[in-house]
Amino acid sequence: MNEQAPLRIVLAKVGLDGHDRGVKVVSRALRDAGFHVIYPGLWQAPEAVVRTVGDEDADWLGISLLSGTHLTLVPRIIDLLKAAGLDHVGVLVGGIIPEADIPKLHEMGVSRVFGPGTPMTDIITYLRSEGSRTHA
Amino acid sequence: MLSDLLARLEEKDRLALARLLTLISRGEQLPEISSAIGTRNETTPVVAITGNAGVGKSTLVGKLAEYLRGEDKSVAILACDPESPLTGGALLGDRIRMPSRPDDAGLFIRSLAAASGHQAVAEHVDLMIRLLAKFGFDVILLETVGAGQGDTAVRELADVVVLLVQPESGDELQWEKAGLLEVADVVVVHKADLAGAEKTEGQVKELLSLPGSREIAVLRVSSRTGQGFEALWEAVMAAPRRGTTLDGRQLLRLAQQLLADRYRSRGAAAGPIIDRWKAHQLDESQAAEQLLDLLVR
Repeated sequence: MNEQAPLRIVLAKVGLDGHDRGVKVVSRALRDAGFHVIYPGLWQAPEAVVRTVGDEDADWLGISLLSGTHLTLVPRIIDLLKAAGLDHVGVLVGGIIPEADIPKLHEMGVSRVFGPGTPMTDIITYLRSEGSRTHA
Repeated sequence: MLSDLLARLEEKDRLALARLLTLISRGEQLPEISSAIGTRNETTPVVAITGNAGVGKSTLVGKLAEYLRGEDKSVAILACDPESPLTGGALLGDRIRMPSRPDDAGLFIRSLAAASGHQAVAEHVDLMIRLLAKFGFDVILLETVGAGQGDTAVRELADVVVLLVQPESGDELQWEKAGLLEVADVVVVHKADLAGAEKTEGQVKELLSLPGSREIAVLRVSSRTGQGFEALWEAVMAAPRRGTTLDGRQLLRLAQQLLADRYRSRGAAAGPIIDRWKAHQLDESQAAEQLLDLLVR
């Protein structure tokens, strides 16, 4: 009935990483672009992130990592999403990710990696063009 | 698709619950969902937490949920945050202040965006409440946007309305102006670890004891120290339930929502009416009548 229901995206800071400036900037930009952004705060466990994605019925999960733990935490989250029956949720990664690790993240199932300096319009345009696999 | 979701709901599938809440929030398949869920299970208390921005609604809801989990009661939380009237976007941040219990099946938290003009709660919350009650939660907590004056819709949705106030929030006349005290069944002076809590409690009690007032519990609670949660839950349980009487207003509310949904889906057909109104060929009430005819047809 409602064609333009806003996309719901969970933005998450995982593990011992206190740098939330970036995720806050992205939160605000997505909000202003008409998305519904769910931000559960710092220091989330992978299990808590997956619980949030499920209860909130999110279309997307954006993981912000500036701690160098992306090759440990991202696969953990993706495995938990699969185990919870949430593999339809698109996964984005943002933050400090070395160039060489990006293909590895894609292989694990990450749709896109957005590094520092990404124009907000890139993220917004990408999400709008992809839409929702949750509510296809 | 819907029948599949409803079947999974019977098996306590959380993802089906989450998906049905999404459908309801989008105004999709409301009549089908409503008739499948049936009337509300009246034994599940629905407690609304309201109060001004910054008074600590999310924090208190989170701590109250932990208290109730300690009492072995399962809890569902509907947390409303405002949606931008300009873009439709929303930043839903209530979870930050709520407990993270990823392995606890007895706690469910859903963030909802409340459009402006919807009286501090999201649309179709009454149906969401019925869904959560059917799923089997023991207690449903409804956190409002908390814009303050005049946001009285929660009264019709909840069995008990808990109003939060905080120390040092204006002289005693502010309470009279707000029009909120008349909505409340329980008044909590939150942040009771701060100076001035007792004075605020005294002011509220004094206002509420004026002749003609209802009996309303006033108590001090601190989420920081954990003081007062047991007393709060006792007061909530002791307050007379308000949500149990079925009357025409519930139907009226549903009819209003259906009209709003139809306007959204068939709004284009209203273009000529709007144009004639803008050109002063119709006055406002004539245009509204024609719009109503169009949507009811």
